[in-house]
Amino acid sequence: MRALSLALNFTRREIRNRYLGSFSGGLWALLQPLMQLAVYSFVFVYIFKAGPIFKAGAQNAVATGFVPFLVMGLWPWIAFSEAITRSTTVLPENAGLIGKVALPREVLVIASVGASLTLHLLGFIAICIAMALWGTPIKLIMLPLALLVYLQMALLALGLGFLFSALQVFVRDLGQVLTQLMMLWQFTSPIFYPREILPEPYRDWMGFNPFTYYPEQMRALLLGSESIASGACLAALIVALAVLALGIVVFRRLDSHFEDFL
Amino acid sequence: MSKSAKTGLLVQAHGLGKSYPKVFHRSDRLRALLRLLAGRREVDATTVLHDINLEVWRGQSVGLIGENGAGKSTLLKLISGVLTPSAGNVKVHGRIGALLELGAGFHPEYSGRENIAMSAALYGLSSDEIRQRLPEIIDFADIGHYIDEPVKHYSSGMVVRLGFAVVAATRPDLLITDEVLAVGDESFQKKCVRWIEEYLESGGTLLLVSHSMYHIQKLCKHAIWLKGGVISAQGDVFDVTQAYLSYHERKNTTTAPQRAVVEAQGMEFHLLDVWLNDESHEMPLLLEHGDELRIRTRVHSRDGRVPVVMLGIVRADSTPVYGVSSDMDGAEVTLQSPGVYMAEVHFPALFLLPGGYTVRMHALDTEGVRLFDTIERGLTIRGNSRELGMVRLPHRWIAPGVLPNAADHGAGTAP
Repeated sequence: MRALSLALNFTRREIRNRYLGSFSGGLWALLQPLMQLAVYSFVFVYIFKAGPIFKAGAQNAVATGFVPFLVMGLWPWIAFSEAITRSTTVLPENAGLIGKVALPREVLVIASVGASLTLHLLGFIAICIAMALWGTPIKLIMLPLALLVYLQMALLALGLGFLFSALQVFVRDLGQVLTQLMMLWQFTSPIFYPREILPEPYRDWMGFNPFTYYPEQMRALLLGSESIASGACLAALIVALAVLALGIVVFRRLDSHFEDFL
Repeated sequence: MSKSAKTGLLVQAHGLGKSYPKVFHRSDRLRALLRLLAGRREVDATTVLHDINLEVWRGQSVGLIGENGAGKSTLLKLISGVLTPSAGNVKVHGRIGALLELGAGFHPEYSGRENIAMSAALYGLSSDEIRQRLPEIIDFADIGHYIDEPVKHYSSGMVVRLGFAVVAATRPDLLITDEVLAVGDESFQKKCVRWIEEYLESGGTLLLVSHSMYHIQKLCKHAIWLKGGVISAQGDVFDVTQAYLSYHERKNTTTAPQRAVVEAQGMEFHLLDVWLNDESHEMPLLLEHGDELRIRTRVHSRDGRVPVVMLGIVRADSTPVYGVSSDMDGAEVTLQSPGVYMAEVHFPALFLLPGGYTVRMHALDTEGVRLFDTIERGLTIRGNSRELGMVRLPHRWIAPGVLPNAADHGAGTAP
């Protein structure tokens, strides 16, 4: 109970922390993905002229246009990857707290992941509403369900956050390696392109990517593209829970030794 | 507050130990990680605390003393749950308020007011309680308009004021403070001491680390002396602090020169041995304040001439207290066997004040001019006296209108 209220307290503090002293305040949380959206849209639509290619390969997935398609993948990804990269270094960053105050260390990871996911969720909802007002056929009615999917993604992010933050204490290079790995992960997930345009064997392999489910499910729910088989939904849930369990086990095991290695 | 917190045992440590892994190379970290993931313990480790058994009862006030690096702070951190023990366990029944390090738990960017809320939450106060006690905390900290400025602009004294104010407001079952009071100014220190005294009177429990024996003796009834990670002594605060102080006085003097026996034997006069109260071993002699002290020594004279024996008592830090020689007193040094002389001095009541002292015996030539040999023996005086200085001088207090011999204190040391 105390841990929960502490986690809430820390999440609030973390959110304020990130934007305290920054010029734009919380607005940046919305601006940053918007700018990425603008850049990627420009590159893919105007430079690579990818629109027709995507449409030819996957009529259904990109039916509502490239920008809404990209939004459904980009926002969850930005939230997810930021949650993971930020929480990975959260223990060394709070070394001052760890050796001095009695505090369940899980709280720090939860707060970091929670802050990233909350901020970008607000941005995601805002842009969905904005697009709906603009005239894009987005099924706002499905937003609560999309929120559940987002929550499931939060479990996955939290699990990886626990895992990486605990390992980072011992292996300091993990943070840097992770930045590169996340980029690789980003381009091997169906964020910028629909899975359907991949050649046959790769298309199925993408199913093993634990992040694949989230953009596809978001598109299925909010854009009405091809719905996901229930087996895939269950598999994604099991993977998320398993990763969370693994993260917690590793974190707990290493927990009592953090102060020795920080 | 739970029932167990109302009565009895507050802290119970059993076989408590803490060690840090030795990390020299980058590969050590990786090896440690793999070892820990496999669920094994670290082998190569530096032990900071070893096998601490400790009980603190509700209402006790315990001072923790020891040199730098003795493990005091580590012990406090283990008790307050900041660190995890590597051996044994510690149980605490009740709410702990811990002031461990300057500004721990404060965020430098936030104002004092915001930090109060955050650190009170860390101590387990609900947001309602925090709102309720905020004025009280701000009032206690008494740092004026600084309360709305970021903590990074605070002086270290202000940080301590704020920290203590928060801890005081959480009304802990066990208050743990680690030498942070020393940072506050005179008036704030007094305020804290007064608060702690009231807190103790109302049944609070205190664990205090301090290098100020004044604070320890004023606030604590019990003391624990940690030395090299183990408990060296525990018990009544006066006994332990005196043992600790005399240890320090002795340590500060350059380590007693080891007598080169072979070299001494070639000298004209050399000391064979020294007995303090019939004890001839090297351990310091333990006496109560006012006990009798008998010193006996044997001197070997190479040429058979009569030596002069001199004795001196110095405090453990080498401040002389008293010195006298056989020829000053016209005392006789008796021949015991060919070439061996013996001298004996009695102090019927030794009114040295509690602390550590050294008895020095010297062998001089017949004229009492040249010093040939020295043996030193430790002497520890115990007692509960709060008198100052090194020795109790005979004195009496005269109440106006009362005959002078009505209140006679101390003893006239007979010549």
